[in-house]
Amino acid sequence: MNFLQKQLEDPVRFARIKRWFYAGLSVVALAEIVLPRIFHGGESHFSFEDFPAWGSLYGFVSCVAIIVVSKLIGKLWLMRREDYYDR
Amino acid sequence: MTVEWVHPGLLLIVGAWVLPFLKGEVKRAAMLILPAAALIDCLLMTPGTYGVTRFLGQDLVFGRADRLSLVFSYVFSLMAFLGMVYALHVEDDSQHVAALTYAGGALGVTFAGDFLSLYVFWELMAISSALLVLLRRESSAVAAGFRYLLVHIFGGLILLGGIVLHWSETGSLAFGDMGAYSGGMAWALILVAFLLNAAVPPLGAWLSDAYPEATVTGAVFMTAFTTKSAVYALIRGFAGTELLVWLGAAMAVYGVVYAVLENDARRLLAYHIISQVGYMVCGVGIGTALATNGATAHAFAHILYKALLFMGAGAVLQTTGLRKLSEMGGLYKTMPVTLGLYMIGAFAISAVPLFSGFVSKSMVIAAAGEVHRPVIFLMLTLASAGTFLHTGLKLPYYMFFGKDSGRRSQEPPRNMLVAMGLAAVACVLIGVFPGLLYERLPNPVDFVPYTLQHVTSTLGMLGFTALGFFLLLKHLDPEPTISLDTDWFYRRGSAGVMELVQGPLARLEFGFVGEIYEFVIRRPVLGAANFFRKLDTFVVDSAIVGVGRSTQTLSQVLKTMVSGNAQHYGLIMAAGILILLALAIFIQ
Repeated sequence: MNFLQKQLEDPVRFARIKRWFYAGLSVVALAEIVLPRIFHGGESHFSFEDFPAWGSLYGFVSCVAIIVVSKLIGKLWLMRREDYYDR
Repeated sequence: MTVEWVHPGLLLIVGAWVLPFLKGEVKRAAMLILPAAALIDCLLMTPGTYGVTRFLGQDLVFGRADRLSLVFSYVFSLMAFLGMVYALHVEDDSQHVAALTYAGGALGVTFAGDFLSLYVFWELMAISSALLVLLRRESSAVAAGFRYLLVHIFGGLILLGGIVLHWSETGSLAFGDMGAYSGGMAWALILVAFLLNAAVPPLGAWLSDAYPEATVTGAVFMTAFTTKSAVYALIRGFAGTELLVWLGAAMAVYGVVYAVLENDARRLLAYHIISQVGYMVCGVGIGTALATNGATAHAFAHILYKALLFMGAGAVLQTTGLRKLSEMGGLYKTMPVTLGLYMIGAFAISAVPLFSGFVSKSMVIAAAGEVHRPVIFLMLTLASAGTFLHTGLKLPYYMFFGKDSGRRSQEPPRNMLVAMGLAAVACVLIGVFPGLLYERLPNPVDFVPYTLQHVTSTLGMLGFTALGFFLLLKHLDPEPTISLDTDWFYRRGSAGVMELVQGPLARLEFGFVGEIYEFVIRRPVLGAANFFRKLDTFVVDSAIVGVGRSTQTLSQVLKTMVSGNAQHYGLIMAAGILILLALAIFIQ
């Protein structure tokens, strides 16, 4: 029973990890909104990068877009049975 | 005689042939000493031109050492060393010889200052790497190996065609910036050959086809050399080619899309090689000092973390025999060390701060920002999220966590873990001390990866990609399918061509073309032949027979006269004289 197993198989501990994950996300998004306003250390090349929490937003949108679009292309066109080339 | 310069590639290629004659510990020592010696050789080399040979009125340059070729040579020889550590337990000399020859070929390409020596090492790489696929000795591997070899022979021929054309047009074999010949046929052929080896779609399907079929240890070598030596050649010859900007960005996204659909662990990683090489190709296309630095740095970092990832997937394949994500799961219980080391590679490829990808990938993306290309910038950032999604989340989730497959295994042999550990150290070292890498890049570096904005936006992007992953997890379950790629054209398309040939084309041939032939050619020819035959029998033959017959008749007549009797001759003469006399008298 290693450390990881202990963390993942105990529902209480697992719920705690989940909470930490969401807390971390909010901290990161908040930091992304607040910190550039305080330090003005920005060297952004494009105006859209100055949108509040740009990285978090674009990361989430990219992730969803990649999954949805790829699965769509895959289902409609690209995915075949494993023995496709052997038949 | 003092040896001024030893070609590190040649050291590996020739040295490899010593291995089959050694045994046990000595052999294992030699397996490590060879690449280590090549690495030291590269590190000691100072910029300059070495190994110039006169051939066919041309200077062949085997040792062009400058900042660009040296930094590539460091990572190639380092990779050869890591790969050999990983392969130390393998009892198959032919694999070791092939792997060292392959690495030596990559070093040869890197140091080649002319097209001819570049071509020789280019082909050597193709053949030796194909062996690493074939030597898995399973029918699927042999088939994939032959496809791989055919594609690369095809690419090699295109390269040779381009080189010969370039030679005849310019009279020079020197390999340098090709920008001056842009748009020419030679330029295009050489570019296409380089793009094929860099696995740029639609010429890149060989990579995801062959790499997952290679041997466990061979695949680790393959991830490093072919595509990255092509990236080197592109930087050398085609920096600033606009086409590459778009091809590279499209390639980065293309690899990510296919990775969503993929079920084979090593094939998923192979699609991410294509995606990562996309950043490099894009950097080459942008062509500014920052961009070529970025392409070089990313190639350097990529070789190390991608090898680490392939080592991890290879370790799972080796100990469980499993290659499909849909069959794995729950391995974290028995392979925690492999998981930990794999995750370092996954963080590096995902450009998590403090890991190598963060300091290299961001150079290319920043270069896209610097030249103000918003679409390219967004495409590369999107692919970056996709990289974390698959290599950092999906693959480890389904391989090590997820639904417990009930399979139990143990950690891989120690040398495999050591190789993974060394690669992991390199990934972290570059991430924490980017200066180590930056000071070796071809152009002076004025780039700071660790800015507040860069770190927070990267963390935000990665964190929310993870959120998206967990929200959509049930849609991501790997499915036991394969995905169509451009290798369809030579795997099924060629079967279609055969069907076309055997079906409609054959009917057309026997039916239509055959009938026309019958009426237009065969019948008239036969008719004419018949006519001439008759002409021959009735006219020519009878003429000859007639001549013969008349000669015979004449000789019958003559036979009675020519009796051989002197009295007859005398009588005929006397008769003749009498007739002549009579004529003379009567005519007067």
